[in-house]
Amino acid sequence: MRAPQTAPPWMHLAFAALSVAFLAIFSWVLLQESFAEWRTRQAEFLAIERQVKDPHALALAAHVGGIRQIWLRDIDLVDRCTTCHLGTDDPDFQVAKQPFATHSGTWLTTHPPDRFGCTICHGGQGEATNYRDAAHQPVAYWPEPVRPRELIEANCGVCHRERAPAEAFLLAEGRQRIAAAGCVACHDLPGFSPDEIQAPHLSSVGYKVRPDWVRSWLADPKTYLPRARMPNFRLQKQEIEDLNAFLLSQRETAPLDSSGVDWSKADSEHGRILFGEARCLSCHMVDDRGGLLGPDLSRVGSKVRRDWLFSFIKDPMHDQPDTRMLRYRFSDVEIRDVVAYLTTDLVDPEAPENAPAAGYLDPKQVAAGRDTFVKHGCFSCHRFNGLTPTAKIGPSLMAVGNRVVERPEFGSMNVVPTLANWLYLKLRQPDSLAEESRMPTFNFTEPEVASVVVALLSVRKADFPASRVTRAPSSTPYTPQGAFGALVSRYRCLSCHQVGGSGGTLSTVPLDRIGSQLQRSYLVSYLQNPSAVRVSIEERMPFFHMTPQEAATIADYVGAVLVDDSLERPFTADTEAARRGEQLYRRLGCHGCHIIGASGGYVGPDLSDTGHRLEAGWIERWLAAPQTWKPATLQPDYGLKAEDLRDLTAYLMTLTTSARGRNP
Amino acid sequence: MKTPKPPEAGASKESTRRRFLLTTGTTTVVAGVVGFLGATARFLFPNVLYEPPSRFPVGGPDDFPTGSPTFLPNQRLFVFNSDAGFYSISSICTHLGCNVNHVASGGFACPCHGSQFDANGQVIHGPAPRPLAWFGLSLSSRGELVVDQRRIVEPDYRFKV
Amino acid sequence: MTARAYVRQTLETGWRTVFRVGWPRTDKDRSAAMISSFFLHVHSAKVKPNSLRAAYTFGLGLISFYMLLVLTVTGVALMLYYTPSPDAAYRSMKDLQFVVTFGPVLRNMHRWAAHAMVVAVFLHMCRVFFTGGYKLPRQFNWVVGVGLLIMTLGLSFTGYLLPWDQLAFWAITVGSNIAGYAPGVGESAKYLLLGGTVIGSGALLRFYVLHCVILPVAVVTLVAVHFFRVRKDGLSAPPGRAPATTAEAAKGGFPPSARSYGLMALADRPAQPVVESDPDEEVMAWPHLLYRELLLLLAVVVALHVVALLFNAPLEELANPTRTPNPAKAPWYFLGLQELVHYSAFIGGVLVPGLIVLALVLVPYLDPSPRGVGVWFSPERRRANWIFGVFAVVTIVLTLIGTLFRGPNWAWVWPWTG
Repeated sequence: MRAPQTAPPWMHLAFAALSVAFLAIFSWVLLQESFAEWRTRQAEFLAIERQVKDPHALALAAHVGGIRQIWLRDIDLVDRCTTCHLGTDDPDFQVAKQPFATHSGTWLTTHPPDRFGCTICHGGQGEATNYRDAAHQPVAYWPEPVRPRELIEANCGVCHRERAPAEAFLLAEGRQRIAAAGCVACHDLPGFSPDEIQAPHLSSVGYKVRPDWVRSWLADPKTYLPRARMPNFRLQKQEIEDLNAFLLSQRETAPLDSSGVDWSKADSEHGRILFGEARCLSCHMVDDRGGLLGPDLSRVGSKVRRDWLFSFIKDPMHDQPDTRMLRYRFSDVEIRDVVAYLTTDLVDPEAPENAPAAGYLDPKQVAAGRDTFVKHGCFSCHRFNGLTPTAKIGPSLMAVGNRVVERPEFGSMNVVPTLANWLYLKLRQPDSLAEESRMPTFNFTEPEVASVVVALLSVRKADFPASRVTRAPSSTPYTPQGAFGALVSRYRCLSCHQVGGSGGTLSTVPLDRIGSQLQRSYLVSYLQNPSAVRVSIEERMPFFHMTPQEAATIADYVGAVLVDDSLERPFTADTEAARRGEQLYRRLGCHGCHIIGASGGYVGPDLSDTGHRLEAGWIERWLAAPQTWKPATLQPDYGLKAEDLRDLTAYLMTLTTSARGRNP
Repeated sequence: MKTPKPPEAGASKESTRRRFLLTTGTTTVVAGVVGFLGATARFLFPNVLYEPPSRFPVGGPDDFPTGSPTFLPNQRLFVFNSDAGFYSISSICTHLGCNVNHVASGGFACPCHGSQFDANGQVIHGPAPRPLAWFGLSLSSRGELVVDQRRIVEPDYRFKV
Repeated sequence: MTARAYVRQTLETGWRTVFRVGWPRTDKDRSAAMISSFFLHVHSAKVKPNSLRAAYTFGLGLISFYMLLVLTVTGVALMLYYTPSPDAAYRSMKDLQFVVTFGPVLRNMHRWAAHAMVVAVFLHMCRVFFTGGYKLPRQFNWVVGVGLLIMTLGLSFTGYLLPWDQLAFWAITVGSNIAGYAPGVGESAKYLLLGGTVIGSGALLRFYVLHCVILPVAVVTLVAVHFFRVRKDGLSAPPGRAPATTAEAAKGGFPPSARSYGLMALADRPAQPVVESDPDEEVMAWPHLLYRELLLLLAVVVALHVVALLFNAPLEELANPTRTPNPAKAPWYFLGLQELVHYSAFIGGVLVPGLIVLALVLVPYLDPSPRGVGVWFSPERRRANWIFGVFAVVTIVLTLIGTLFRGPNWAWVWPWTG
């Protein structure tokens, strides 16, 4: 049987049908391409542009067409955001809706897009040309979605590695909080040093604290002190007992002998006055008043033992070599009264009766406590003789911002599995996530966690060239030697003051060139009897009871070493110039802020005794450009001419009346 | 259909139908193939380029001394700072694309095939077919001179800062 | 002669220099058209009815070939926008996804066609086995086919790395480590394949060259041999009225040709096409076979477009050698092996794949009986069908288990609970 010569009819039908299908599907491909999302956006933009611009400006406007991209060759970054975000650099689109609106603020001037692109700051997938894939919302397989407003500062921190970058307030707060919380004790974190952690030395803690306080403190530090720096380790009851025994057994250095003190004669009222005069509140807080540098003393009487406190005030470094507490020249009687004030007036009325700790004599319980101490990594913060951390107890966070989180890590929680959410939950409640966690609970408030999350997200392994990264100037600790060095150590000057970029931040007066700013005689008297030159602020310089000898030693050293040659210039009194200077003083309205004698404003320092206080060269250079010396000062830069500066200085140097009554 | 139908006089219903289907199929397939070729051509044109931008800042106005021109080898152009204002001339010879040199007399000379240009980039002699290109200038928001290579201007162009 | 007539005649002559026969209207012309065309000559002028019966071949060989065609066309297009370096490869993918005109469709089509080709080649092999198509005289073509299957897998595997995303990186890590288990030569083979000890720029460049040059050239060559043998031996068919002399076959020689084609009459006898069936039952390749091939091509192209428009090819994050996804899976066609590796590295990585390849190559020589050719599941070769059927089913089941039923840590999961 021969097969037919021609094809059967169904094949023609199939041919026609398949051909039409082919054309149809191919047209679909073409249509999909020509109605791409970004083309629609660009058409919309052109329509809006015709509305907001007048015809002349329209003719000049750079016409859009096609995909726009910013290519940063040095970091091989491609951003095509401007394909749709077409009005970012055009002020005519202030009120336009997204994606066409003008960029807010002056960010495009400080971070020009041709050098920074978009996603460095904003996150998201810059290569994408449609809304979804650009990761405006979290999408699969793109680790960093567009940063919402509350997280965007994380991206500032990728390049701005200094502790507190200007204008990134949340980031700065988060980093300060990380430093204060001591995260770096357990985790490696770039930009933070374990030296910043302040935790008491525990080698002699058995002499220091009361057993019942240890229990309540370990159970939850916040019950004793709402502002407690130590986090809550969520300890079991048995662990607390063991730790208590272990801690109370730590008795390396006995307190200084106080057996000669007659406590029955103690005068706590006198102690209270001494406490105030010594300006203890500069660093310590009592009933929500005072500084944060030292521990809160509101209920210290329920915490520490009387004889230890006596010893500590007498010589803080006796058993706490790293303390920032300074050593006052109190007599034993004065110390007795201050201790009496602290231990009888500042107590927790709800604290339980002081029960003796039984366990600390039981070596087995002490050993168990030591194990607990090691298990929770207590030695990460608390220096401890015989226990030194070999490696950080927590995972390294050197690239925590690059961490990829996956849904299973959230356990049963129903949240979008982003890194920000993971960090948030981890910090709020470390044991809420799927994995077991030894990390203690810090009891951060919601805004605090938000800032820490931002700061952690900024810790990324970005292979940016060094030219794109800003860092804090590295500072080597300032450690003077000799007699001056001993005084700096004794009075802990650097707990508050900065020298060469290192030191505390409580004081607003850096000491780098103080020898060229203050006259020697003023400095000597100020150190012995500090009083404020500024009416509007509370003097915080402690009253050390420094001897004249010590004050002279400091003044000599300061005058020889902490000087700035550019401030040294000869000065001769000139009444004519002083007269002109006085007129200038009035004309510029200086009295609006400064007091001379009895009249003037309260914003700036009292100038009544400037002639006895300040060096002429300093006055002149200060007035020439205040902000170069102190960027945040309110002192206006009047752009004074050289002769005006001389006249004004001459006038100020004539002011030698003693200022308002000195305290105390 | 077991046996071929004998060819009949006139168009039977079946052969009309067959012709229609074949015509439809062939036409659409041809259209599809033509479309495919067009799409292929479009595909070959890249939509984004990884090239240096044609509009770029070259530095602040103070970076360019008056008198002698400043040659920017990476961007292949000269920037002149004259009393009347700034102007920028391409260093790419219009003959075969070598870099021309600025000569002491004020013109330009191409080292490759000896083309010579006057101070305005006009051809004096040599194989170069066209004068050197002049680029438009503008000032960026940061106060930098910006050269726009897509904006070709006349030789009387001067940009005042 | 008018100018018009001259032009017309010149055009006609010119046309005839290219297409010698013109549009054929008789069987003689149709035969001539087939023989005189470079491209059509790959077919014989007349083919057996089996060639046309969809239920016999399911067009699987042709579908595999069309996939190869589509992959070549899309692959060459993709090469224009691809840079084989770890720094740039992923960016190339993103460019294809977002800014190259028709980039997504091309990439999707290339990806899905690659998978489809693996499936089609495997099914084609099953078809040939179950219809006894590897039997005398087609033994060698079966071996060529096994080579093509391995090369198809190789092409797909080497292409898998090129996007340089997490999926690619870790699939190739797992896949190349399976190769490392081969005793003695495994580590060297892996070192050679990767151009180093880890997957880096050397591996990417090698995979690129293998994927775009070496394997395509090898495949095209083998395909030519494969087609040549089909052209010479014809499609397998049930014994017709003039069956092959079994006595000859038993001696291992080739059966005499039942009849050679008229057009081939002058050719030497051993090179003549061997035809088991009555040529009178054969049909003209033009139009019957060609038309079907055209329809199948259209169907394949349409289907691929639909799939490419509906499903995007996967693209995960940039490859990150420090973060292993859980589970890290090889390309799906190696997941059967990975499942076996899960039990024993040696068995799954070396023994089983080695034995499979060896057994497949030896199939036509282990089963020399010429009976049962040309029909599906011939009862005359029940045992062979059972053995191969079990092999095919086990392969499919293991692959499905590895693909769908294995979750993090290679633990058993039910796909519908994910």
